[in-house]
Amino acid sequence: MLLNDRQYDFFENGITVQDVIEKMNYIYPKLIVKVNDRLIEKQDYANTPLYENDDVKIYHLLAGG
Amino acid sequence: MKKLVATDSLCTGCGKCTEACSKAYYKVQDKNLACLRVSENPDGTFHVEVCDQCGECAAVCNTNVIRQDKFGVFRLSKKECAGCLMCVGYCPKDVMVQSDDHLEPSKCVACGLCVKACPTGALSITDR
Amino acid sequence: MICIKNIKPYEQIEQEEIERLKAAHVLRARLQYEKKPLFRGYTDKLLYVDLADSKIRIDDIPGQVKEKFIGGKGYCLRYLWDAVTPETRWNSPENAIVMSAGPIGGITQYPGAGKTLVCTISPTTDIPIDSNVGGYFGPFLKFSGFDALELIGKADKDVIIFIDGNKGTISIEEAPLEAGDAHILCEQLTLMYSDDEADRKNVAVVTAGSAADHVNISMLNFSFYDPNRKVVRLKQAGRGGIGRVFRDKRIRALVCKFSGIKADLNKPHNMSILNKTGLKFHREMHDLDGKQNNMRKIGTANIIEVMDAYDLLPTHNFKFGSHKDIDKIKSTVFIEKYLTQGAPDGCWYGCSMACAKAADHFLLKSGPYKGQRVCVDGPEYENAAGLGSNCGVMDAEAILELNFYCDTYGIDTISYGTCTAFAMECYENGILNKERTGGLELTFGNIEADFELIHQMGRGEGFGVIVGMGVKKMKEYFIKKFGADPAFLNDIGMEQKGLEYSEYLSKESLAQQGGYGLTNKGPQHDEAWLIFMDQVNNQIPTFEDKAEALHYFPMFRTWFGLMGLCKLPWNDIVPADNSKTAEPAKVPEHVQNYLDVYEAVTGTKITVDEMIKQSERVYNFQRIFNIRMGKGLRVNDASPYRAMGPVTEEEYLSREERYDKQLRELQGLDPEKMTLREKMDSTRRYRYEQYNRMTDAVYKRRGWTQNGVPTPEKLKELEMELPELLEVVNQVLSN
Repeated sequence: MLLNDRQYDFFENGITVQDVIEKMNYIYPKLIVKVNDRLIEKQDYANTPLYENDDVKIYHLLAGG
Repeated sequence: MKKLVATDSLCTGCGKCTEACSKAYYKVQDKNLACLRVSENPDGTFHVEVCDQCGECAAVCNTNVIRQDKFGVFRLSKKECAGCLMCVGYCPKDVMVQSDDHLEPSKCVACGLCVKACPTGALSITDR
Repeated sequence: MICIKNIKPYEQIEQEEIERLKAAHVLRARLQYEKKPLFRGYTDKLLYVDLADSKIRIDDIPGQVKEKFIGGKGYCLRYLWDAVTPETRWNSPENAIVMSAGPIGGITQYPGAGKTLVCTISPTTDIPIDSNVGGYFGPFLKFSGFDALELIGKADKDVIIFIDGNKGTISIEEAPLEAGDAHILCEQLTLMYSDDEADRKNVAVVTAGSAADHVNISMLNFSFYDPNRKVVRLKQAGRGGIGRVFRDKRIRALVCKFSGIKADLNKPHNMSILNKTGLKFHREMHDLDGKQNNMRKIGTANIIEVMDAYDLLPTHNFKFGSHKDIDKIKSTVFIEKYLTQGAPDGCWYGCSMACAKAADHFLLKSGPYKGQRVCVDGPEYENAAGLGSNCGVMDAEAILELNFYCDTYGIDTISYGTCTAFAMECYENGILNKERTGGLELTFGNIEADFELIHQMGRGEGFGVIVGMGVKKMKEYFIKKFGADPAFLNDIGMEQKGLEYSEYLSKESLAQQGGYGLTNKGPQHDEAWLIFMDQVNNQIPTFEDKAEALHYFPMFRTWFGLMGLCKLPWNDIVPADNSKTAEPAKVPEHVQNYLDVYEAVTGTKITVDEMIKQSERVYNFQRIFNIRMGKGLRVNDASPYRAMGPVTEEEYLSREERYDKQLRELQGLDPEKMTLREKMDSTRRYRYEQYNRMTDAVYKRRGWTQNGVPTPEKLKELEMELPELLEVVNQVLSN
């Protein structure tokens, strides 16, 4: 699975977006999630399964500080 | 606490209340300049949104220009107000009025003019 | 949780005491002036004060200055340039402190519009420093008739400059008896210059603090009166030692009084757009802040534990990015136990973001105010990270205490944190010991020693004065006096151009290394914060991508400084549908809001490209100003290695898996076959090379030579072919 254009091998098929967020410890609240270019809303994180060839983008929206 | 209450089931959507309200301060007949809002439900009945003097407007004001009077009514001191409009944006009922022709917004003071104008008794002032 | 409704008002200083202070004032000069009415955000007037001979003058700001420099930081730099020579240093009499609010400054409808920009030649960098600060002074100054204020010369006694914007008077008064510490001084002056309680909100004070008489890392406090708490609040122009210059001129305080704040004081071109845009923002804040950054609850400190989770929270002088005891200082600790909730904490009218949090009736445990209960403004994220984790101080109350004393002594919390963390690492490495520190055991996490250090700065005594010189001068001092290894100190001393780094770990984000290193004033993140885009999101993988980001963001963010705006409402809240836009990181709808507000105030419609061009003019002007002062070239943009990678074995081993993986994947090396030293050396070589290649790309994108000099062609493109700029540029290019 590609996460932010980096290959991650430790994810199993069927893992959800929510699981990935938790595994990666992505605790920042303003995330933009796209799976194969499709925008996933927050309420769907837990019911969006991911598969081997998925292209997942989890963008943290902060260009501030 | 003195405040305006509405009984939706009695409202016929005639608009006399908003007319009376906007005329009172803004001297025009414009429902967008009234401190209460009447909307039509999909089934043809009406809903009246009124200020329940919750005080959110006062809580967001950084200079305390919205203060509660002895009747529990929140009054905005136009003289002191800097017109930042935070109160308008934060009104949970969206019943504060902002007009580009005026520097300050306005809010319901439970004056009862709309109550008098309402032909069906859908509006009243309570003291509870 | 503490709620504003339950906060007891603070006690006030007795009127008798105020009368006593006032009676000792001696009037030095007084000017009655005809107030120029504002038009579309400008008065086109500058107030000039020479402290040496108490001269007060009002100058016209020429049309060309307005056209090229716009306002705010642009005006500050323009007038600073004219005041100084290449030989001017921070304490030269001709050094100027210039302040300006910018054309949008002072509007009440859109959040974050009360900022004052301040520039001077810095005691720690010897080049212009710029700082962006809240509080009411900047807007009051403008409504009193002045787009900018220039202070030069030095007085021989402590003075207050008082501007009464309603009466149209400016006076310089000797003020011998006022307090040195900002929280008391600001209250004294707020009471002294207001007619009654209701009038207190119409008085804005600018002051440093007692440490500004002794240390370089001192700042300026800008006040505003909080009628809810009945207390004077303080915001800070923190970076680069402006407070030190202020006190060197013997200015005790600036006071501006203005009553009658209204929505149209800028005489804007179009009130309707202003109202509409502001109201839209307030509604967005109301609906979304609780789901996003909780700015109204906790302000910038919302990211303390976020930075820790992403290994970005500076810990032990930027060695590490997280701390095992993070739970003790995470944002919820401050929300639940210390910061008053539900208060409209904007630092100017109309700021619905209201991030200026405060801990009320906080009991102090040390120093001259031990046992007193005070209002602590903060903590900002930077304070929690700099005063906290970076010094190993994982104690919320200690952070608040240090925060309070930094503010009242006039010390920049960021520089204090980075300086103290540096001294602590030197202590733990044997470069310092008790004998050399005068008895302070400066180990990471030693709160008692930390408290003593800050009080020494306040008193101008002992080792505190050494630390307060700043990291750059500390390094020189430790090398000369204690024979410390220069290479090691230059690796771990987190300063560049003489300015201390602000509180983010940039090791794993090349773009942020540039965001710190390739800046005008030094490593402050207000030009660009690219860590998530780069390191986490991997959105800007190539050198060209990073260069584009290091062009756009610094230019875009410079614009806030031209206008008198705050950066936070730009992206600490985003519209609900922001994720559907083409470039969410830029928050396109909010950028459009700014263009709309600019048009509404000034009457000029501009595009994003024109906005960037306005900034580029001033940005390049500042770069050339640096060159004129002897810096601003490629050599000055090099970074300490601590900002780029693991300096020590301890650091490498703490993230060994990560660094080994990078050796394999990025350099094709086999870490199994390498010694630790070899692995560290390869990592260092690789990272230096990457930083150099990125620097090449950034300079190219910005239209600079490979030595970092803006080219005459670039100046032509920007319509900035000013003779004084070409002279500096041509001289350096011909060398």
